[in-house]
Parts: sequence; C-alpha cells; structure tokens
Amino acid sequence: MRRYCLLLLLLLALAAPAPATADATPAIAAAASLRTALDEAAIAFRRSTGRSVRLTYGASGSLVQQIRNGAPYQLFLSADEAHVVALAADGRTLGGPADRGRNFAVGRLVLFAPPRSPLQVDSELQGLRRGLADGSVRRLAIANPDVAPYGARAREALQHADLWDAAKPRLVYGENISQTLQFATSGGADGGLVSLSLVRTPGVAGRYALIPADRHAPLTQRMVLLPGAGTTARRFHDWLLGPAGQRILSRHGYTRP
Amino acid sequence: MSGPEPSLVSGTGSGLDLSLHATDPVPLELALRVGPLETLALVGRSGAGKTSVLKAIAGLLPGVGGHVRVDGESWLDAGASRPPHLRRVGFVFQSYALFPHMTAAENLTAAMDAPDRAAADALLAQVHLEGFADRRPDELSGGQQQRVALARALARHPRLLLLDEPFSATDRPTRRALAETIRELRATLPIPTVIVSHDLDDVAALASHIAILDAGRLVQHGPAADVIANPANALVRDLVA
Amino acid sequence: MDWEALELSLRLAAITVLVLMPLAVFLGRWLATTPSRARPLVEALIVLPLVLPPTVVGFYLLAAMGPDSLAGRGWTALFDQGLVFSFQGLVVASVIVNLPFAVQPAQRAFEGVGPDLRAAAASCGMSPWAALRRVELPLALPGVLTGAILTFAHTLGEFGVVLMVGGAIPGETRTLALSIYDRVQALDHDAAGRMAALLLVVSLAAVALTYALTGRRIGTRVGP
Repeated sequence: MRRYCLLLLLLLALAAPAPATADATPAIAAAASLRTALDEAAIAFRRSTGRSVRLTYGASGSLVQQIRNGAPYQLFLSADEAHVVALAADGRTLGGPADRGRNFAVGRLVLFAPPRSPLQVDSELQGLRRGLADGSVRRLAIANPDVAPYGARAREALQHADLWDAAKPRLVYGENISQTLQFATSGGADGGLVSLSLVRTPGVAGRYALIPADRHAPLTQRMVLLPGAGTTARRFHDWLLGPAGQRILSRHGYTRP
Repeated sequence: MSGPEPSLVSGTGSGLDLSLHATDPVPLELALRVGPLETLALVGRSGAGKTSVLKAIAGLLPGVGGHVRVDGESWLDAGASRPPHLRRVGFVFQSYALFPHMTAAENLTAAMDAPDRAAADALLAQVHLEGFADRRPDELSGGQQQRVALARALARHPRLLLLDEPFSATDRPTRRALAETIRELRATLPIPTVIVSHDLDDVAALASHIAILDAGRLVQHGPAADVIANPANALVRDLVA
Repeated sequence: MDWEALELSLRLAAITVLVLMPLAVFLGRWLATTPSRARPLVEALIVLPLVLPPTVVGFYLLAAMGPDSLAGRGWTALFDQGLVFSFQGLVVASVIVNLPFAVQPAQRAFEGVGPDLRAAAASCGMSPWAALRRVELPLALPGVLTGAILTFAHTLGEFGVVLMVGGAIPGETRTLALSIYDRVQALDHDAAGRMAALLLVVSLAAVALTYALTGRRIGTRVGP
C-alpha cells in the first residue's frame, strides 16, 4: 500500500501547476513559411528588448481556424493578406473590422529539387515540364492549396505554365509549407514548390530556382494584432516592421512590401 | 409468538420466520420456521432453489417477496428490505468466498464490528485451526479454508447461521471432522441454523429438522426422524434412501 | 530537447491519471456489477475514443468545447479564458480520450472479484462503500494500476486530438509528441530523434511495468 501512496505523491508532484508564463511571453501564431526567419527574429528581439515570445507555426488557414475557435494568440502572421482580411471582417482582430493589420514582407516561391533528384530546376519550369512528360518526376510536393497560401500560389504558377493537368496526378500535398519541404527533402517527392525562406534553412541540401513573381498572385505577408494583445506582442509587431526586423526578413529571402 | 420452543439460553430470541415468493431469478414459494435450537437441513436436488433460499434470507437475492423475521426483527416485509450488510447472518458460502488478500485472522476480524485479534484467535481455535491464523487462504487446504469460513461466519455474532453445501467438496474424513465441529458449535450456539445439501446422508446426523425442497416449493417439512421414517412421496423416498 | 514540452506532457499525463482514476474505479465497478440494460451502451461509449479516428474525436471535442459551445461559454464566464487551445481544455480532452484505457482494465479487475466475494463482504457486515474499500479495491488494484499506467503512457504519446484541441502553443499545449512533429517540420532531425527516443523509452518502461504488475497479480482464486 505504501508503494501506491508513493506513486500518488509522484503524480501529485508532476501535476503541480507550473508558474504562469502566458502574460509575460505571448503566444504568436505564424505561417510555417516564416519559421526560420521568425525563429531568428525572436532571438534578436529578446536580445534587444529582453522580452520573449512563443511561436506556433502552421498553415495560415489552419491557424485562422484555431483563432476563430478561441486560441489565445496575441499576434497572427499570415503568409498572405486574405486570411488576415477575413479575420478582420469577423471582428476578430484587435481593432475590430477596421483593423486589417499591416503588410510586413513579400515572400517568393521556388522550385526545389533534393540532391540526386532527376528534376532539373529552372525559373520557367522547363525541367519540370520534361520530367513530368518523360515520367522521371513521379512525385511533386506542394502545400495544401486550401489552407496554405504557398500551396495556392504553387497551383497558380503551375496553371500559368499550363502544367497543372500534367502535374495534378503526381502531386503530394503537405499540410503546410514546412511539411511540403520535408516531403521533398526526405526523398518522398522528387521536388516541390516551396518558399524561398525555407530552402535557405541551414541544413537543407538541394537545388532551387526562383519562380518569377508575376506567375502568381503576390505572397504578401500580413500580420495583425489580436484581441488581448499585450505589450510584448505589440512591441514584437512594431520591431518586425522596423529596420532590425526587416533586415532579418530580407536575409531570409523576403522583399519589402 | 407461537412456534419454536422457548429458548433455554438467555438472550436468544424466537428464531427464523420465513415466507418467500419469487418468480424472476428462480421460482420460490415456501414458508417455514426455524427455532433457535433447531438445525434445519434443507435438502433437494440441484436446481431446486436451495441456495436461493439462503441468499433470500441473507438479502443477497433481489426481487423476493414475502417476509423474513429473525428474533422478531423484520428483515423483509411488504417490499421493505433491509440491506444485506445490516442483516446479522453468518453465511458459509459453498465456494467459502474467503477474502484472498487477507490472512485467516484478518478474514475473521473483517467480519467483526470492532476488530479483535484475540477473539479471532479464539474462534479459530474453536474450529481447530490453531497456528493457521496468519496464513492466507491460498496457503490453506480446502478443508482448512472451509473452517476459516465457518469461523468467519461466527465472528459477527450472527442471529442466524447459514451453510451452503458444506459437505460437497471434501473427502470423507474431512466431512466427518467438519460435521463434528459443527455439532460442537451448535451445542454452545443457540441460533437457528440452516444447512443446505443435495445429499441427505451428509446432514441427517446433524439435523434436528428436515425440509425437502423441489422446484422452489416444500415437499415435506418436519422433525428429522419423522421425515426419514415417513417419506411423503417418491422424491423424498429417493433422497432419504 | 524541448524540456518545456516534456514537463508539459508529464504534467498533462499526471493530471489525466489523477482525474481519471476515481472515475475509472466507479465506472469500472458499476459496469462490472450492474444488471442495467444500459450497460452495453455505456461500454460502447467508453470504447468509442479507441475506435474513432483522433480527427473525429478532436472535431467533436472542438465543437463541444469551442467558444460558441455551452461548455466553452460557461468556462469563459467562470475563468475568463477559452477552454480549447488551453491546458485545461487539453486535460478535458485527454480525460475523454483515455477513458477506455483507464476504465476497461478496472472493469475487468472488478469482474474478477466475482459475485461470491461481494456477497461475502455484505454478509460480513460491510456496507457497499466498506466492501469497495476493504475487499474489492485491494483485489482490483492491479487492474486499476494497469489502467493508470496505460493512461499515463498514452497521454504522453497522444497526438491527433491534442493537436486539434490544443493547437501546439509552446508552454501551454505543445506536448512532447507535438514538439517532435514540430522539430521534424523544422528539419531539426537531431532534436526530433532525441525526443522520440525518450518517448520510446518511457512508453516501453510503462508497458513493461504494466506487464510486471499484472503478472504478479494477487491471487483471486477462491475455494476449491
């Protein structure tokens, strides 16, 4: 019996509440494509202000669903404008329907191929066209167009090159852009249409070619403060728009809006 | 109160007054009385409802009508049923049902209102189990387990002793020794006792009265000698033979 | 290594076990003994989280605890914060998802006690509560404990429902399993590998402990 009492004590000790950190370090939701840039930005922000943020990454559309369901994020960074505008229309932004956030960067789409892939990467997608035609490209990864902006832009780029019908049966869909890149790097796919920001992640090996920006709707990155946003979230928001934040974003392949 | 003979020992009551009606789990339709000095052998073939009668008395059989009165105290009447733990019965189950995680002595003290180790040791001595107090049931033989069960049934100072097929699963010497122990106990314990058996031979020597049960009804009931001498019908004759 | 996620997972698992064990004892005991005709339905409801995809469970939990739901509105009125995407919401989801893991072994253990011992306890003057405490629970303890360990291990590993209801907020709802997923997505395979190995070892230890406990079960054999 004493054994069971010890077990119970152990459980109680584990269950003891941890010190609350929610107010001091706000939860921030960000598009998966922003992962490497924002991880670096969060470190630089802490170094310059002493304040920390907690970042959760996902497909912009999935994050919007979480916010609609009451997820306690204080700031939302989307990979496109539409999701922020939709949140604002619902009155779920800090300033209500009038508060439609700020554009803070423009992202770029790339065609990526891992080492040893038969896929030849080029801006005009000629290598992809050949690979799809001769069957050497068996799988191409894109993000789910329904929830991930990069997925939607990838579809537009393929449609613009008149490759959508040929590519469609070969597509594998990542739940967000991180997973899409993971499909392409792990050899699960011969290549993929992913974000420039992520292929620059240290440790990602492979070749990529920038897709010209006029082949799809712009990937305008937009952020908005959410109801309940505290000082730290507001300062991180402003810091990203400032020179230090913009420098980091440009280093990760983003251009100014 | 009419019926059972007046008690010779102070503090004892009028015995068991029983009337049972049931249809659902098993059909039961019977009435009988057992005096404080009587040992009733309830005999019948398997499926006759013998165990159900014991369970009904102990309050372990839901959905029984009729009445159960013990020493004038009502345990069951017109649907008002006293829960089993408030009925002061000593029940020796056919499977013994000893608590496997407790020693013999703990099995006894578990049945006492105030745990009393000395009393438990005394009771174990009464059933000739000195030295086995600290053994668990799985360290005892079948016959020894049964004696613990008997001692546990007495540990509660019961108003009534119920034994379900105490002789069914033991060999002849064990059976004889147990019968002797029960006889010794009965001499010092003036409470109504009901022993269920499918074999009249096993209980004839212990019983003061015999009740023959068939399909939930009493076929014959009376002093042991009368029943053995004048079987009421072929069934009783078979059981008596 | 994401220590915060490990601590969160351990805390979630411990609280889930603490909340679930009394529930498992009473539900398991009731299911083992009740003559009620509702029993198969209750049993089926308890097993449901085991047979449904986590996405279905997550979807219904999200609907049932969301900000527009009755439970969500009540919670927000009481505590001034949402139920979903919070640690408390994760606990509620975890308790529901783990019901079969906790209740089933308890139920089997209480069934193993058998009607004779329950009858004997009553005839020994024990009230139903005393019988539970002194006879049934000690005998059913290995089963109840098995349920506790399975619940603990399963909570550490639960992914789908936790992701849907919790949203992987660091320090709040990002459990170890979610952190592994997050590290894989960040292409940080070293960290993912370390955490996966830790989860593997903990799960293996928990299941081995379960087998050890059930193997040494106190004998419930009675009579000849």
